[in-house]
Amino acid sequence: MSFQIPIGPQHPALKEPIGVRVTVDGEIIREADLRLGYNHRGVEKLAEQKTWTQNIYLMERICGICSHSHATCYVQGVEKLMEIEPPKRGLYIRILVSELERVHSHLLWLGVAGHEAGFDSFFMYVWRDREIVMDILETISGNRVHYAINAIGGVRRDLDELQIKHILDSLEVLRQRSTYYQKLGTTEPSFVARLAGVGYLSREDAIELCAVGPTLRASGVPMDVRKDDPYAVYDEVPFEVCTADSCDVLGRTVVRIKELLQSYNIIEFLLKNLPTGPISVRAPRRAKPNEVISRYEAPRGENIHYIKSNGSDKPERLKVRAPTLANYAATIKMLKNGFIADVPLIFAAIDPCICCAERSVAIVDARTAQERIVTMSSLRELSLKTAKHQTRKREAEWPL
Amino acid sequence: MNDQVLIDKINEGLKDKVVSITNPAPRRLFLKVTADNLLTVVGWLKHELGITHLSTISGLDLGQSFELLYHFANNCCALTLRTEIPREQPVLPSICEIIPGAILYERELQDMFGINVQNIPDGRPLLLPDDWPAGNYPLRKDWQYERPPEVIPGGKS
Repeated sequence: MSFQIPIGPQHPALKEPIGVRVTVDGEIIREADLRLGYNHRGVEKLAEQKTWTQNIYLMERICGICSHSHATCYVQGVEKLMEIEPPKRGLYIRILVSELERVHSHLLWLGVAGHEAGFDSFFMYVWRDREIVMDILETISGNRVHYAINAIGGVRRDLDELQIKHILDSLEVLRQRSTYYQKLGTTEPSFVARLAGVGYLSREDAIELCAVGPTLRASGVPMDVRKDDPYAVYDEVPFEVCTADSCDVLGRTVVRIKELLQSYNIIEFLLKNLPTGPISVRAPRRAKPNEVISRYEAPRGENIHYIKSNGSDKPERLKVRAPTLANYAATIKMLKNGFIADVPLIFAAIDPCICCAERSVAIVDARTAQERIVTMSSLRELSLKTAKHQTRKREAEWPL
Repeated sequence: MNDQVLIDKINEGLKDKVVSITNPAPRRLFLKVTADNLLTVVGWLKHELGITHLSTISGLDLGQSFELLYHFANNCCALTLRTEIPREQPVLPSICEIIPGAILYERELQDMFGINVQNIPDGRPLLLPDDWPAGNYPLRKDWQYERPPEVIPGGKS
């Protein structure tokens, strides 16, 4: 008899409702199965009924943590369709916000990783520092989560000298702390012991299964849309693509911390070289019939939008592929032959966070393949009932 | 490797397998292929050019036919394979044997467009609910959402 443990779709600790069903053999996961769509919102269908401008706000609401990445990916595609070129200063501010978003997302992840690994003081330290970058985002855009800074043809808000000074000052604090976390996260023995070797994904598998972002880079593949397909102003900004070779959760931690430090450099560069001039241009209401592929490096990896216009003020088709979807196939691979206790850590490592297993177990009868969900209490009764008539432990012979 | 080098290589290696190649913007290539040649072309791209990263598959409802766009990418170019299949007989070969990471996107196509992907390793529904009525494919242009009438349990509806 094999046990199947359902994790999700609805769970207090889940940020994204996703259903995973793992088949376990003792403590070891033999099979993992994914069921998506619990929270399918039909955004792609809805987008066909909204105008180009309305869609910015729809795209921003696809994700709560990387809201800016979907909006930017969409907006830069639409700008190509409308054949307008946003001014340099607008692009600089747009990329500044996207790097700040990467910082806040990676800090959030780092905290979650600490929490999943049972290192809660790390979690609290990191999340305290995340408030610094949230404050920066609030001073720039007025909001902590949905920045709404993008407009077709540029950005909606400008920066002034005081804000730039505030960001640069805060950045110094963040850089100092992140260097400390880099030291801590990669050398603290118990933390490293918990992360090393967990969720192994070989370089070949990562490429085969089309993983993206830090998950792919931690398997030693230097793929980053910012470098490969430089959008906006990334061809002017100096930075390095961060990789690791350990192919496990530790590697993913290292990649993200390194990326944090790179992001601070990018932010500093952008602020010190901020061009003067307007921040946006006026966009037409309609776009000529055409199609465009827009790619963007979100904190979780490659984000791709395919946009097709038909000459009206609404898109003909808007296809969105968020980075997490691309990483699911790789996650299944990582889960296999791992321990149940590693499920939260492995899931956290691709960045959606799924914590502990639900308190109900589905039992599949191997002979009839019938499945039933039982609660933990009735399972306990069952175990007491069957154990009643068996030989007691001290009388039983040790099987080995 | 820039766009022109890539186009030359594709012209040389695939010859008549590719109907047309367009390069509308820097680092963007669009290849039109017939559905019969899809597997050959995907295999050639993987083995000869080393393009293994499939970003996603987009489906498009053109009215009489469905258009599928396979968005590939490598470190210098985003390459899109475009193929068309008739609406009456929406059958497509699965590329999972060559690109295993395509499985979720192919399952999404089946759900959203009702395209029959042949030889798919795992063809269960992915996104739509378990009690979704058969024959409803939301991303087809003729599909309209109708909100079911609200019934108040135990009350006047």
